[in-house]
Amino acid sequence: MEEVDRILIHALRQVGTDVDEDVDGVRQFTSELLVEAVVRCIRVIDPGLGGALAPSLPPGMSARFRVGMSLAQACQDIGYKGEIGYQTFLYSSEPEIRSLLMFLVEKLPRESAEASAQPSGKSAVLQRAIAAAVRAQLDLAWVPPNCRLPLHCETQSGGALNSFYTRTLSSPHCMKDSKTTDLKEVTEYHRDVLAPVTAQCSSGATMAASLLEQHAAELSAAQEWDSEWKSQGLLSRLTPQEYRSRKLARLQKRIQEQLRSAAQPASESAFPRAASDLSDVLQSFRGSAPSEDLLMKGTHFSHTQKFTFTQEAPAAAAAGPILSARELGGDVQLRQQEELSALQLQFQQLCSDVERLAADMKHAAVTHAQALDELKQRELGNSEKEEKLQVKKKTIGLLPDADANVVQLQSLVEASAKRVVSLASQWEKHRAPLIDEHRRLKEICSRQDLESSRKLSEIKSLHEKIHVSTEEAKKKEETYKQLVTELESLPQDVSRSAYTQRILEIVSNIKKQKEEITKILSDTRELQKEINSLTGKLDRTFAVTDELVFKDAKKDESVRKSYKYLAALHENCNQLIQTIEDTGTILREIRDLEEQIETENGNKTVSNLERILEDFKAIRQENAALAAKVKEG
Amino acid sequence: KDVNGDTLWVWCYPSVGSDLRQVLLRKCCLTQESRHFRTFVFGQYSRSWYYISTVEVQEPTALTKVTHFSIVVTSKDFNPEKYAALSRILCMYIKHGSPVKMMEAYIAVLTKGVCQSDENGSFLIKDYDVRKAYLAGSVKVVSQFGMETIILYTALMLKKRIVVHHPRIEALLEFTRALPALVWHRKDWSILHPYVHLAEVELEDLKTCPYVAGFVDPEVSNRSDLFDVFVSLPDSVITVSQSAKAMAMGKLHKDIGHVIVQSAEDSEGSDSQVIKDISTKTKEVLATLVALASECEDSKVTLEALKQHHFPPATENFLFHLAAAEQLLRI
Repeated sequence: MEEVDRILIHALRQVGTDVDEDVDGVRQFTSELLVEAVVRCIRVIDPGLGGALAPSLPPGMSARFRVGMSLAQACQDIGYKGEIGYQTFLYSSEPEIRSLLMFLVEKLPRESAEASAQPSGKSAVLQRAIAAAVRAQLDLAWVPPNCRLPLHCETQSGGALNSFYTRTLSSPHCMKDSKTTDLKEVTEYHRDVLAPVTAQCSSGATMAASLLEQHAAELSAAQEWDSEWKSQGLLSRLTPQEYRSRKLARLQKRIQEQLRSAAQPASESAFPRAASDLSDVLQSFRGSAPSEDLLMKGTHFSHTQKFTFTQEAPAAAAAGPILSARELGGDVQLRQQEELSALQLQFQQLCSDVERLAADMKHAAVTHAQALDELKQRELGNSEKEEKLQVKKKTIGLLPDADANVVQLQSLVEASAKRVVSLASQWEKHRAPLIDEHRRLKEICSRQDLESSRKLSEIKSLHEKIHVSTEEAKKKEETYKQLVTELESLPQDVSRSAYTQRILEIVSNIKKQKEEITKILSDTRELQKEINSLTGKLDRTFAVTDELVFKDAKKDESVRKSYKYLAALHENCNQLIQTIEDTGTILREIRDLEEQIETENGNKTVSNLERILEDFKAIRQENAALAAKVKEG
Repeated sequence: KDVNGDTLWVWCYPSVGSDLRQVLLRKCCLTQESRHFRTFVFGQYSRSWYYISTVEVQEPTALTKVTHFSIVVTSKDFNPEKYAALSRILCMYIKHGSPVKMMEAYIAVLTKGVCQSDENGSFLIKDYDVRKAYLAGSVKVVSQFGMETIILYTALMLKKRIVVHHPRIEALLEFTRALPALVWHRKDWSILHPYVHLAEVELEDLKTCPYVAGFVDPEVSNRSDLFDVFVSLPDSVITVSQSAKAMAMGKLHKDIGHVIVQSAEDSEGSDSQVIKDISTKTKEVLATLVALASECEDSKVTLEALKQHHFPPATENFLFHLAAAEQLLRI
């Protein structure tokens, strides 16, 4: 019982009840303490219910009575199934208090539920710590720079911020190509010349960033290769090197194609684009100093490019007069006009040249086509005529003996036809088994394909399982470490191991007792059975003897006497048995009555009764006072 | 084609070159993924015609594990009906399960011109005349384009490259085989390539001459380097490519166009009547040209001679190119 009480008191202290140090057991709980404990428990269990209740007993008796009733109601709402009323709180008895407090403490929500919901793991712990620190910092009010205490300086001023500037580092690990690891010079370089990573960066600020970047790059490359290999690499059934080389070739080909396609349209449209660029440039030049050379070159260039499009001519021609219009000065204008007319003459000449050339080209193309056509036709005609010539030559050779040759030719034809047919059948004989073989091999191939794909999928699933189990193992190790540290940091006031030991002991005790009880019960049953059988036997024996003796009793005097003795013996033994049974019953009753006495003694009934009478008197007085007040007022 | 999905060659006589083999495999619809089997397809490749008929194998037959087969017949002449009939007879492959019988029949046709078929009657080569083949396509199909047929007519006269597109091969074949009938005076069906894929080998083959080519692939409309005139059959749209400047039309063309349309709409006349009308008109034009040529020395026309007659520029252009096409131009 003391253990139970200590657990209860500890739990109540955790809830917030102010239990004195020397209160050792529930026996010593006063009504006020009890009420406070119950109210605090209810508040934790169900804040809605508990909000309406006050943790302290008011002095007035009727108020106390009311408080008791509401508390009892609240406990019943929560689910307490025992008998409860105001008397439990005001005139309490130990067993009732104990059961009520145990029920309430059990109902308290478990704190462990929150803890298990939080993710475990080192990173989670770290993140939680970070979150807590940031929250604490945010809670601090922002203070203007002048008033800052050193505590605030760290968190609120700009501080030593560094931009994220990285620098490629080289280390022996990052060059893992098979080509370079064997070279002696490379290893020498790595050993003797290459500076350590901390020295490779110009300033300390970039070092962290560079290291992070390099590590992230390597990690992501490794992960990508892993995932790609698992998904596609295994499917292609190549070794890793082959797969890599094939991928490289594929990428190179694609790059080539892209470059080629990008270069082609560029080259096609280069001409007009170049010309338009040039004309833009020329337009910009027009505003500035008139450099005739440039302009002349411009018109040259533009119209040699676009000689087929005569629409450009008016535009270029318009460029000339516009230029002349912009100039200032009379003689300058004259000179300009002379030059202009010369240029225009030249231009016209060129245009006519161009047209002539165009017409020539067209003519040439058409005649070329016609000539080709003719040529082709003639060639075809030639070949046909040649064939006919051959045939006619042969026929002429055969003409002298026309009929016989015709017959011979026909027989030749038939013979060759038959030969072809026989060859065909022979080939067919060869072909059929080959085709069957081909089909059979194909089937085998496809079956093997199926099998290998099945095995691949198995491999994949194994990979996944491995992955998953390694992760789980890692997580579990982390949680274990974390929990060990947590366990060490836990306060040691309540020794749970002692409790668990006691509980296990009690459980084993109970088991033993149960066994003993069952043994005793079985013994009792056995005894009862024996008694029953013996009684039965006795009755039967007595009946038989009785009859037997009675039969003889009529005739013989001594038998009558012995019959009387037998009857008396039977009667007395019966009485004995009866007395023994009564003794047993009475002993049981005595035990029950003793138990009841004990429980009643614990109830403190007398003291409670006195208190009730006093309180009753107090209520009566209060009632009288209130009635008087009402009458006055 | 057999159960495994392979398409295998069974037999070829005489030998078939490997690139022709490739082309034929491509044309033969057994290698294509679609389930749509065309019973009869023909086309031209490097001056020889091929005719493919495909048959699905129904149970029960002597052939196990074969789902479909195709018969390919190549020859130098254009006569789809003849070869269709021949292929039907050769389909006795089904019954016997071996190509030997087929070989016998084919050789009989080659040597004697006749062969027995399992159904009553025999196959005679002389039943199938080439002129009938030429006329078999209905020119009235062309009248679907109305006045725009004149573009096709001009292109054919001037020996330009025409590309026709239709997603279904049967419609394509039917339409394209009628086109060379518009220039009946040449009777040249070797320009017809009714079934071409966009493969390098076949396009190389096309480049050797002016052609009327049919494509099933809609991508061909992007290949403007392949054609001067593009006909999209399902939309009934004719497009003239930018570089074909010889196709400008004039009054002469309008006349001819009217003649074509009128005779096509004339539902009483037969196809041959339409062709006759068109060829009459063509002969008129050619007669003028010949007359012009005879004026010049060595009966060849030159551009200057044409210019002296002061034709309108479109007609002059047309006559100039026509002269080149008919080989009347002085080189």
